[in-house]
Amino acid sequence: MKKQYKILLLAAALTALISACQKEGVYKTLIITGQGEHNWEYSSPVLKQILDGSGMFSAEILKTPAKGGDMSAFNPKFSKYKLVVLDYSGDSWSDATKAAFVDYVKNGGGVVVYHASCSAFPEWKEYNEMTGLGGFNGRDESAGPFVYVSRDGDVVVDDTTKGAAGKVAERSDFEVRTLNTEHPITKGLPVRWMQASDEMLGNLRGPGLNMEILATNSPRMQFRRAPGAVPGGQRQAPPSPRFEPVLMAIKYGNGRIFNTLLGHADEGGGPAMQSVGFIATLLRGAEWAATGAVTQEVPYDFPTAAGTMLRPDFVPVTIDKAFKEIISYDITKSTKYYTFIRSQIAEAGDNEQVLLDIEKRMVNVLKNPEATAEAKKLLLRELSWMGTDYCVQAVKDLSSNPELTEAVDFALTRLQK
Amino acid sequence: MTQKSNRRDFVKRSAAATAGLFVFPSIVRPSALGLGGKLPPSDRVVIGSIGVGSQGMSNMRDFLRLKNAVQFVAVCDVDSDRQKQAKDVVDAANKNKDCRMYGDYREFLEKEKLDAVSLAIPDHWHGLIYTETINKKVAVYGEKPISRTIKDGQAIVAAAKKNNTVWQTGSWQRSLPNFRRGAELAINGRVGKIKYIEVGLPDGGRGVGTPPIQDVPPAINWDMWLGPAPKVPYRGTCHYQWRWILDYSGGQLTDWTGHHVDIANWGAGLEYTNPVEVSGIGVYPAEGLYDAPVEYDILCKYANGIEMRVANSSRLKLGMGTTWYGDLGWVHTDRGDVLSASDPKILEEVIGENETHLYKSENHWQNFVDSVRSGKPTIAPIEPAFNAVVVALLGEIAMTTGQTIKWDQEKQEIIDNARASRLLSRPYRKPWELPTI
Repeated sequence: MKKQYKILLLAAALTALISACQKEGVYKTLIITGQGEHNWEYSSPVLKQILDGSGMFSAEILKTPAKGGDMSAFNPKFSKYKLVVLDYSGDSWSDATKAAFVDYVKNGGGVVVYHASCSAFPEWKEYNEMTGLGGFNGRDESAGPFVYVSRDGDVVVDDTTKGAAGKVAERSDFEVRTLNTEHPITKGLPVRWMQASDEMLGNLRGPGLNMEILATNSPRMQFRRAPGAVPGGQRQAPPSPRFEPVLMAIKYGNGRIFNTLLGHADEGGGPAMQSVGFIATLLRGAEWAATGAVTQEVPYDFPTAAGTMLRPDFVPVTIDKAFKEIISYDITKSTKYYTFIRSQIAEAGDNEQVLLDIEKRMVNVLKNPEATAEAKKLLLRELSWMGTDYCVQAVKDLSSNPELTEAVDFALTRLQK
Repeated sequence: MTQKSNRRDFVKRSAAATAGLFVFPSIVRPSALGLGGKLPPSDRVVIGSIGVGSQGMSNMRDFLRLKNAVQFVAVCDVDSDRQKQAKDVVDAANKNKDCRMYGDYREFLEKEKLDAVSLAIPDHWHGLIYTETINKKVAVYGEKPISRTIKDGQAIVAAAKKNNTVWQTGSWQRSLPNFRRGAELAINGRVGKIKYIEVGLPDGGRGVGTPPIQDVPPAINWDMWLGPAPKVPYRGTCHYQWRWILDYSGGQLTDWTGHHVDIANWGAGLEYTNPVEVSGIGVYPAEGLYDAPVEYDILCKYANGIEMRVANSSRLKLGMGTTWYGDLGWVHTDRGDVLSASDPKILEEVIGENETHLYKSENHWQNFVDSVRSGKPTIAPIEPAFNAVVVALLGEIAMTTGQTIKWDQEKQEIIDNARASRLLSRPYRKPWELPTI
């Protein structure tokens, strides 16, 4: 079976990054913002940080004129970019700019529609065809049917019910369900994962042409979180008793559009934008929109049904970072550097060279007087099955440490040394 | 009475009673007699329980619901509160105050003279307590999964074979009609030749982070609870929650293979067969004390060409349960009396006299008691139970190593992979040792 849950080793990531830079350069990206009911001043710099931080995109932020300003001056050269990210919901663009954008997409341009941008341009037919589904700003049955997913996983197109499009639930941790596990953007993702403290949008309507629903929210599992409180506890009513799309992939002309409803921004991003599920799907959706393919591995810290996962600095863990942090391991603070190392071992499979590199790093921790006993215990557990003769002396040298006697016994028994 | 009470003693004793030569067995108190017109207690299976948490108590109640079947005389648990709760249930059933309580299974096994023992303990204890119980030559009702590791499981199977143990696994789905019917349709070719089996087991659930170290409740002997597992401080994750920690369990995957994979094997004629090749992916929580996989997707290949996929149910269209796919269609079965097929007519098929009729039991606990009395095999013997958990445990090794595991069933070993082979066992914390057979 194909291994799907992988993360690149630093070496591999660097190689990929270098070759990407050498071959095609990074994908030039334009983030359009400047108006909206949401905190676009918070979100757009974070979008840039996430995109640039991947090494795959080089983003610049372009602000439209302020609300009520002269839109005829807003005339970006879309064709300069491989990807356009919309963090915008405001005044209508000029007809010329709209036409240029439609041309850009029809000719193969990539677009990411981020969160509140699904509410933009209710009057612009082509825009609504590109986004697939939208809501708010006066949208009703004339915008298209309600589209959602039933409990059995079937897409429901309701073109008989009239009514306003768009509904927002109070912010909460909620579960996302990966509906389409074959699409490049969502292939290999866990089928259930938690998004932290986000706005859940629902009741969207739209033409839904050439649209694939990749993921939905799940009305069954929601955990409200009061400010400062830990996840869990009080349940909150969902906006509608159905599975509402949260990630969509749309084809329009030769272009590709990724519509993500996730990632409501607080100052500095906040938990919804720090959620690994948001970050990873944004990057995967952006790559697909730009190129039609996804080369990124699913990161080891992609959330699961077990709970939310945040990256407060928006940066993925590297093997150097993990081995640096594991030295001060304390289970009550975080286990993620340990689980990262375990993911690297599984990822290495039968690659002796990579396994030996990991083993050497582990032995360095065993020899490090600064490293906690708990860190050494964990690594002894891993070495007990994946270690070679290389580690044996370092393991034996720890046997005089009374805190580690049992763990050393465990390792040497399994290693048969 | 002899010191050792085994099935043969039981049969002899029953025979003696029938012949009018009844003598009071030393283990039956007079107060247990004279229960208005029921069978004399000597015809009841004298039984004790090790592990009287939620599953142990559930089994006890299922045994007590049977008429004149068992006589509970002793309970054992590392939690003295649970001992008392169990004693109350037993004493109420026996209308006396005589149920004996133990905190150490070794003392329980040494002192009690029993026909049978009901075992419901955390998986990391199975290797030791199952083999030691079997070696006492009693009949055993043991919870699935058989073991935490393949090496533990091999030891348990070897002990049961050596002692010719009457063994019932807690795979009670075998005693429900929809599962047997589904398996019978499959094994008799009503979906054609079986090519592929899909098994959906529960998704993993929410984590708890890492709770702080706490005082051990006075009722719990924490060191004994840990037993052969690594010594760790008490964080309140003990009863029930052990299922989500790899030191004690493989999570939903290993827990539930004892149900739906067991049924899958039953209906595909794979009860006595291990896969030859196993690969798989696991999704592990990145944070927190619970480290068992919350999603998993395992593919097993069998020598006869059948493939079996075992995954958390949210990954599968049909969700929980077992689905046999043949070249003519499929049959699916799950809890809640679920039995469905690609064509409803398949479900109306009659199984002919000369076709395969699977073992029929209408009550899993009664079936065990009947076998203790008769010496005949139970509906859920030990080897199929081991072969069910082998699927999960090899899958776990495949997920841990990121490699495809090749398995030699005859030699009971992994082929040509030293690292993966080390994962066949978990070394025990001293002084605990797996008994040698």
